[in-house]
Amino acid sequence: MSTSPLVDFGGRRVIVTGASSGIGRAIAIELARQGAGVVISGRHEARLAETAALMPTPPIDIWPLDLANSQGVAEGVIHLAKKHGRFYGLCHAAGLVETRPLSALNAARFRELIEVNVTAGLELAKALTRRDVSTEGEGSIVFLSSIYASVGMPGQITYSATKGAVLAASRSMAIELARRRIRVNTVSPGLVHTPLSDTALARLTDEHLKALEGAHPLGPGSPEEVARVVVFVLSPQNGWMTGADVVVDGGFSAR
Amino acid sequence: MNQKEALAWIAQIFEESPDRIAISTPRSDVPAWDSLGVLSLMAGLDETFGIVANGAELNRMQSVGDIVTLLQQHGKLPT
Repeated sequence: MSTSPLVDFGGRRVIVTGASSGIGRAIAIELARQGAGVVISGRHEARLAETAALMPTPPIDIWPLDLANSQGVAEGVIHLAKKHGRFYGLCHAAGLVETRPLSALNAARFRELIEVNVTAGLELAKALTRRDVSTEGEGSIVFLSSIYASVGMPGQITYSATKGAVLAASRSMAIELARRRIRVNTVSPGLVHTPLSDTALARLTDEHLKALEGAHPLGPGSPEEVARVVVFVLSPQNGWMTGADVVVDGGFSAR
Repeated sequence: MNQKEALAWIAQIFEESPDRIAISTPRSDVPAWDSLGVLSLMAGLDETFGIVANGAELNRMQSVGDIVTLLQQHGKLPT
């Protein structure tokens, strides 16, 4: 009796944003390991090259992109599809993190967060699901949300607003795209140590950081632990999951 | 910025009336100067003065005078 693999992308093409470090990088590496043709995208070309060097098979393309301005995103995706063929999937892992209380709310900074965490992701999804870009009859999109979309945390007002927006938008997108068999899901990590989160965490006191880590019964997570879940959610073998939010938080929200 | 303006800025960060904030005002007399207040101060220092301070450094401060000293150390206020 033969067994089929749990995850096998069979060369299907996937775009990963935020691939220059942290969770996005780990997702790109894991996707390549599972047989996907990966386009890696991020702000820093040199760091994207580092990601490429870590992948077991080279990315099919490297797409330097600053999502602080989502103009040009659609043209970029269309160009990639013409060059490489149609795309199966997208993982929007790029995101800005911010810790500030309500009294320090900065509207301009909030708009930047919305642009990168929400608008850019929707623009990418719009481009990727064009009928001349996406694979016919199947597709999969995963947005990185956050446990803070569902669980309140002081200082995370604007960040959680953007991650909640992503989660809510994904559900509606899942319904809208179901007739084309394009699945849309979110993955919501808890505390994961990445260069991005460590920069934000460096601003906390040791006491505050220890309390935050202690709130995760399994301790803080690693990018690889999140990446394995994301890749399963994206995979063609996971064909009946859509509109779901998959929580990967070491038990943080189980309390 | 002079010292009076700096004290007004600190008052605004902690949502206090300017007449309640003086160099000698201890942290314990400023109700909003809790852990979230530290985050507000951190964001304010960064945005207003370009000073990137960490939580541990700000958490050690015990009076308004400590904030004024920090501004002086970064050349944002005459000594």
